[in-house]
Amino acid sequence: MGKKFMFTPYLFLTPALLVIGVFVLYPIVAVIYYSFTDYSIVTPPIWTGLKNYQQLIHDTVFWQALAHSFIYLLVTPVLIFLCIILAIIVNRKLPGINAFRALYYIPVISGSIAVGISWKLMLDTNGLLNGLLLSLGWIKEPIQWLAEPAYTLPIAMLLTTWMGLGYYMMIFLAGLQNISEDLYDAAVIDGCNAWQKHWHVSVPGLRPQITFVAVISSLAALEVFNEIYILTGGLGGILNSGVTMVFYLWQQAFKYHHAGMASAIAMVLLIITLAFSIANIRLLESGTETES
Amino acid sequence: MNRTQAKTPRPRIRTRRVFETIFWYIVLCVIAVVTVFPFVWVITTSLKGPQDSVAAIPLQLLPQHPTFANYVRVWNQLPVGNFFINSIVVAVATVVLNLLFTSLAAYPFAKMNFRGRDAIFYLLLATFIVPPQLTYIPSFILAVNVFHYYDSIIALIFPSLATVFNIFLLRQAFKAVPNDLIDAGRIDGASELRIWWSILMPLVKPSLATVAIITFVNQWNDFFWPSLMLHTRERMTLQVGLVALQGMFASDTRGVAAGVVMTVIPILILFVTLQRQFVRGLTGAVKG
Repeated sequence: MGKKFMFTPYLFLTPALLVIGVFVLYPIVAVIYYSFTDYSIVTPPIWTGLKNYQQLIHDTVFWQALAHSFIYLLVTPVLIFLCIILAIIVNRKLPGINAFRALYYIPVISGSIAVGISWKLMLDTNGLLNGLLLSLGWIKEPIQWLAEPAYTLPIAMLLTTWMGLGYYMMIFLAGLQNISEDLYDAAVIDGCNAWQKHWHVSVPGLRPQITFVAVISSLAALEVFNEIYILTGGLGGILNSGVTMVFYLWQQAFKYHHAGMASAIAMVLLIITLAFSIANIRLLESGTETES
Repeated sequence: MNRTQAKTPRPRIRTRRVFETIFWYIVLCVIAVVTVFPFVWVITTSLKGPQDSVAAIPLQLLPQHPTFANYVRVWNQLPVGNFFINSIVVAVATVVLNLLFTSLAAYPFAKMNFRGRDAIFYLLLATFIVPPQLTYIPSFILAVNVFHYYDSIIALIFPSLATVFNIFLLRQAFKAVPNDLIDAGRIDGASELRIWWSILMPLVKPSLATVAIITFVNQWNDFFWPSLMLHTRERMTLQVGLVALQGMFASDTRGVAAGVVMTVIPILILFVTLQRQFVRGLTGAVKG
């Protein structure tokens, strides 16, 4: 009987571990191997050593993609800032407040494809935004929102931010509701006004949520694809203006069938996400230590 | 004297409160316009007739000749019914099987002592930061060379049968169940499988519901992997189909808008009916 008890936990784990083993753990090992090979998917991989990495170093598109992915990380502080304010706004007892929270949540669940296509329709040269700006007289000529390279990345980042508002707002709202009322009362007695109160009580009280959102949203920013794909029609924008790390990975792997090169990009991406997550957690946790 | 002094400020406080309330409602409405306006505009566009303008000039927000013709046109030219059925089959099958697999795995992580428990658990947690797109390169090769489910919806269900995030959430839920209940089951001679199914699972129903919703929405809205796997129109899910539609109806704004509405409506209905579980799922995810 003792022996049987030893086996049981592993039996429970087997189905899930098999799936995760095949679709997560094996791929990590495989990608490491592929990154050192020339692999066109159709023919077997040929070992080429560091060639893919050497090519990447001299690849201007790769450096562009890397830069774009780092620029994209700006959505993280913007989202943290906006969503804490949003959470403070919706954290009050008003009739119908739940309906408003639900309305803010709609972009989150609608899916980036449907949302991206809606935005694309609005931003069309002959679309709603230009119509509004023209009729208000703010512009004389319609602006080519989606064809102008300088706008590609900012528009995609705006879209990502807009889609994330409701999600991160809910996370901060849950955090706010865990903060004791006494702390706010104490802050008022100490002479804090409404906004100082939030700066001195809400923001420190939300530290776990800020860490969580920083990690999750920066991972999402580094892994952005759908927004770019929809807004640029799968082309990456004029002069690669919208090419991010994952978009370039997709192009190399699934458009040009350079699985080896794509794997090398994936390795760089993995190292960046790893470094970033560790840095995020370290940074935000060290903050708590110095304060307490 | 004292009484009158106490009374006079009252109306002022009341009017101040009223103004504050109005102020907050205005703020809330402005934000609501920002988050909802694109959808309203897409819905009105999808209902516009051929005489209604969808262009920048003349700018027209509401349809003057409302019609469902755009929906009919999209429905007739693309197998939208298939998209729906495929999306539902993929999402439901994934939710049911994923919950089964992950709740089985969560039980030993939460309540059993065995060799390598922590090592395996932390290895799984570490994979959480691996970009999913990285795993899609070998997964694609597996789909073509090994599993032969390329261009089939099986390809979407199979890799989603177990997810680290769900194991993690359900482990938290199982941990909250008192050990006495499990020990009582063991004394009564129930097998571990029986304990898992008849004692633990009913007690964590709320967590199962939230995990189910998160999984359903993620699978419903997934695009990257499905777009790699599905190429035949009839086998596409809604998201992949919507992109195909957008390509096909490139010059037909009304038709694309109708496609967007059809894709979003089912998930919105689900959200409205299960709003409370949605929110609880989120907050639970952070506490964990």
